Amino acid sequence: MFNFAFNSLYEALYMNGHGLYVWSVVILVFLSLLGFFIGYTIKIKKIKDKLNEPN
Amino acid sequence: MNPIRKRRVFSILFVLLFSVSGISLILYSLNSNLDYFFTPTELKDRNIPSEKRIKVGGMVLSGSVERASSKISFIITDYENSVKVVYEGIVPDLFKEDSGVVVLGVLRNKTIYAEEVLAKHDENYMPPNIEMNNDN
Amino acid sequence: MIKKFIHQFASPKTYLYQVDRFYSYIFLFSIITYIISITWGLLYTPEDFVQGNSYRIIYLHVPASFLSQSLYIAMAISSVTYLIWRVKLAAYLVIAIAPIGAMTTFIALISGSIWGIPTWGTWWQWDARITSTLILFIMYLGLISLHNSFSNHEKADKLLSWLVIVGAINIPIIKKSVDWWSTLHQSASITLTDKPSIDPVMLYPLIGSITGFFGLVICLVLLSSKYQIFIREKNKSWVKDYV
Repeated sequence: MFNFAFNSLYEALYMNGHGLYVWSVVILVFLSLLGFFIGYTIKIKKIKDKLNEPN
Repeated sequence: MNPIRKRRVFSILFVLLFSVSGISLILYSLNSNLDYFFTPTELKDRNIPSEKRIKVGGMVLSGSVERASSKISFIITDYENSVKVVYEGIVPDLFKEDSGVVVLGVLRNKTIYAEEVLAKHDENYMPPNIEMNNDN
Repeated sequence: MIKKFIHQFASPKTYLYQVDRFYSYIFLFSIITYIISITWGLLYTPEDFVQGNSYRIIYLHVPASFLSQSLYIAMAISSVTYLIWRVKLAAYLVIAIAPIGAMTTFIALISGSIWGIPTWGTWWQWDARITSTLILFIMYLGLISLHNSFSNHEKADKLLSWLVIVGAINIPIIKKSVDWWSTLHQSASITLTDKPSIDPVMLYPLIGSITGFFGLVICLVLLSSKYQIFIREKNKSWVKDYV
C-alpha cells in the first residue's frame, strides 16, 4: 500500500507518457491555491493599513 | 415565527418551486436531445437520415476489431443490437475490445463511417494485479 | 429566541474573533492532510488497470469538482439565511464564497479537460456533465460581476441571494447528469449508498485529498469573508478597535 510506484525519479516524472498531464494539473492546482491565499492576505493587509490611517 | 419572516419563507419556496418546475419542463422536452450519444438499439428504433452526423456509443464487441494499415473496423454493441463502424485514423489508448467507445460519423448502409473515435471508461478504478492479490 | 441566537452568534464581530481563533489550526491540519494525500496518491499508489498513470489526476480533479458544488450549496444556504432573517454576515458570505467557487470550478474544468486527452481522446465534449459544470462556472462569474456592478450593497445582496437560490437547481442537475442522460463522463465512483467502485488502496488517499482540499478552501472562505467584513463594516467603531 505504501510502496513507491516508480523505479526512479525520471519514471515518476514521465509516468509512461502521462506525466505531462498529471504534473501540469498539479501545478495548476498549487498555483491557484497559492495565488488565492497570497491575494487575500495582501488584500486584507491593504485594507487594514487603510483603516489604521489617521483621518 | 413572525408573519414577515413566514412570508419570506413562502416566497423563497414559491420561487424555488417555480424554477424547479420550469427547468424540469425544459429538460423533459429536451430529454433525448441532451443525450450525448445513441445506443445501437436507439439507432435501430429511430429513423436516422443518412449523411447526418451522429454519435453512437456502446461497447466494442470482443473479436470484432479488424485493422488494415491505417483503417480499423469494429462492432459497437449494447448487447441487444449492434452496428458496424469503419474508421481511418488513430484510436485513443483506452480503445480496446470489451470496453466503452463513442464514435461520431455518418450512417450509410447500416455502417457508420466515423470521423472521430473516443474511448469511454467506467467508474471502476483498481490496480492491475488485483486478481493476483485475490488468489493469494 | 432563534432570532436572538442567530443575531448574536452571527454578528460580524464575534465571527471575526472566532475566525482568528481557529484559522491557524484548520490551515495547519488541512495543508498537512492535503500534501500527504496528494503525495500518497501521485507516487505511492499503484497505477490503474485501464488508465495507467493518467488516473492519478483523480486526486486533484475530484476534490475540486466536489468543492465547486459544495460551495454553491453553502452560498444557497447563506442566501436563504440572509433573505429570511436578514443576517448581514450571511450576505457577506455569499459574495465571499463566489470567487473561490469560481476558482474550484475552473480547476475542475481544466483538470477534467487535461484528463480527457489521454483517456477519452478529446479535451472537450458537450455532454451533460461537462456542460452543466461549465454553466456553474459561468454562474459564479455572473454573480461576481453582478455584485461588482452595484454601488448599493444592500440591493446587490438581495438580488444576488435570489439569483443564487434560483441557480441552485443546477446542482442536482450536475450531480445526476451522468445517471439521467448518456454522457461521455463516467458515473460516480463514490456514493453514499453503494460500496465505492474504487479500490481501497486508491480510495484512502482520495478521501484524504478531498478532506485536505476542503479544509484549504474553508481557510480561503474565512480569509475572503474577513476581507468582506472589513470592506462592508469599515465605518463601524468595533472594526477600528479591531485593527
